[in-house]
Amino acid sequence: MFHLKIAMMAIRGLRQNLLRTMLATLGVVIGVGAVVSAVSILEGAEKEILGKVESLGADRVLIFNGSDKKSHRAVQVSSLLPEDAEKITDENPKLIKSVSPQYNGGGQTKYFQKNVSGSILGTTESYADINDYQIAQGRFITREHIRGSAMVCVLGHKVARDLFGELPAIGKNVKVNGKSFAVIGIMEERGAIGFVEVDNQIIIPVTTAMGRMFGARYVTMLVAQCESAELVPACIDGIKKTLRESHRIRAGEDEDFQVFTQDQFKQQLGQVALIFGVVLYSIAGISIVVGAIGIMNIMLVSVTERTREIGVRIAVGARRWDILKQFLTEASIISCLGGAMGVVCGWAMANFLSKFTQVFKVYTPPMIIVLALVMAAVVGIISGIYPAIRAARLDPVQALRYE
Amino acid sequence: MRTTRVDRRSHAPQIAIYRSAFMIQTENLHKHYHMGESVVHALDGVDVSIKPGEFVSLTGASGSGKSTLMHLMGCLDRPTSGILRFDGEILGSLPDKQLAMIRNQRIGFVFQTFNLINRTSALENVLVPLVYTRKNFSRKIARDALERVGLGKRASHKPSEMSGGECQRVAIARAIVNNPKLLLADEPTGNLDTRTGEQIMGIFHDLHAAGMTIILVTHEMEVAAQADRMIQMRDGKVVEDTAINAGRREEMLGSAQHSQQRMLREKAPPAQSPLTGTLAPNPEPRT
Ligand SMILES: Nc1ncnc2c1ncn2[C@@H]1O[C@H](COP(=O)(O)OP(=O)(O)OP(=O)(O)O)[C@@H](O)[C@H]1O
Ligand SMILES: [Mg+2]
Repeated sequence: MFHLKIAMMAIRGLRQNLLRTMLATLGVVIGVGAVVSAVSILEGAEKEILGKVESLGADRVLIFNGSDKKSHRAVQVSSLLPEDAEKITDENPKLIKSVSPQYNGGGQTKYFQKNVSGSILGTTESYADINDYQIAQGRFITREHIRGSAMVCVLGHKVARDLFGELPAIGKNVKVNGKSFAVIGIMEERGAIGFVEVDNQIIIPVTTAMGRMFGARYVTMLVAQCESAELVPACIDGIKKTLRESHRIRAGEDEDFQVFTQDQFKQQLGQVALIFGVVLYSIAGISIVVGAIGIMNIMLVSVTERTREIGVRIAVGARRWDILKQFLTEASIISCLGGAMGVVCGWAMANFLSKFTQVFKVYTPPMIIVLALVMAAVVGIISGIYPAIRAARLDPVQALRYE
Repeated sequence: MRTTRVDRRSHAPQIAIYRSAFMIQTENLHKHYHMGESVVHALDGVDVSIKPGEFVSLTGASGSGKSTLMHLMGCLDRPTSGILRFDGEILGSLPDKQLAMIRNQRIGFVFQTFNLINRTSALENVLVPLVYTRKNFSRKIARDALERVGLGKRASHKPSEMSGGECQRVAIARAIVNNPKLLLADEPTGNLDTRTGEQIMGIFHDLHAAGMTIILVTHEMEVAAQADRMIQMRDGKVVEDTAINAGRREEMLGSAQHSQQRMLREKAPPAQSPLTGTLAPNPEPRT
């Protein structure tokens, strides 16, 4: 009851000086708002990337061209051949289900007046199975198409819709980078696999892509599907062994390829997130300190301004402890109010940015809200202590004389 | 007679409200302020005893130590030396917490400059002492106090919306909201014109009639003359302590008029009623 009376009095005092109260909260609002919005964006981005990584599948191993470690320069070494895919499958029968080589290019696809630019994927018949990515109409490319470097293509869902709309597409000819391809199938709507928006993609035989289209010797990557997720380490050993032999790498020499699993991606992601996190929380810490100084400043002004009031309060029976409590309560209320407004502002800001830019999604973890409010309360008490002690230490006789 | 000690135990059963025959009793009270090298003797051995129910006026030149004495009696400050008894209790030995309680429950303070909290209403101002009272918070008590000073209808007004006299009445309501035994008023009419001052004095008379002990600091002889007893101070000492009977009152009012006329001769005074005047300045300059 007694504490409540003092809290009520503090609230009334703050309400009577609304503008100043709002100004005092500003530092904390900005600090907490910045933290909440930045964390929301970071967590949202991390979640999204993590979702993409997980859409790769836990039983996948990605094999990329390596970099030259000896020269100490980040020079990309191209080494992966389309044949490596079959070699890996053949030499690791109990471990690896299938491997699809992928060559990624880009270009224009045209059908009469309609023109779509998107990614072009050269791959083999195993691509659809490995990614559990189903054909919606027609059929997927076959082994024969690969062997014959056939001029056929399978359209991603969005490409088909943009070029043909509701019209039938199978059997029609489209121009991909100026060359004529027959449409043999349309893929289901899928969104993204890994980091690739597959709905925007055109699939052609890997041989056609590397030979007739882009004139390339090496593929962009190989995607291997293991028999099960538990076998991934064994698969990696198998893949390395096969590729070292195939690329004639002697014992002790560095590999000219890199192997990635979902777990490794996650780890790397975790590290990046950690770096961002450290930077973010440092900024947050600084702005909270600034906010605390702001509150302390306003409280000190308030104490000076209300010197006579403090004198009167002591004269009518306030103990020093009561005065201390009153100012501490005021500082805490200012700070918590700032914290609450900061949470709302930060959340709104992150969502607005997300809606406006359409680049990332946001996710506000409940923990950060709790943390922000607790932090605000602590800031309030800490920044209120010194002004409150100053107020409580005032000599009532001097305070009553104060002009 | 006034300095006679009263044995507390023998009187305790008979005196229900007061533990002592004296409300305030000081013995050789000193208050020194150190100003660099020199020491200011704001109080220099004060012995006064004030009985419950007395109405005392405290006069003296500026700087003679009136406010200092009031602050000591009001438990706002501690003496440098000497003994100060409040209702028989020696204040010097009490902890801060208990002094706060005495200020809250048993003493009311009225200041020359009202000292209201400007941001809040009259009622809120009167409620302030109740915040520090470990009783239930009752707006009714505060309203009653405002009623007693004739401001029942203006409870929601802010000090900035009220006249000086009304502000002082709010301040008195605040001082009496906890029904204290002792009311200390330091020049309560100093900032008010004569008529308003008279209204305030009327309230003090009512409170006195209701049994409150009142000590009132003033420079104005008419105000001082309204008390039952006058204590005059000079240089931190009590130089005169007399009961005011009818004859003495006449004499004081006469001297007030006289000094008023002298002032009129010397310089253009503010417009005042013929009864007004200020206490004759101390003939000897302070040392
Ligand atoms: N905090 C202080 N430090 C130093 N000297 C002080 C202090 N407070 C009061 N004094 C001195 O003590 C003396 C008595 O002061 P006090 O305020 O009691 O006088 P007063 O009788 O109330 O005067 P006035 O009529 O002007 O209000 C003065 O000389 C004053 O200068
Ligand atoms: Mg004074």
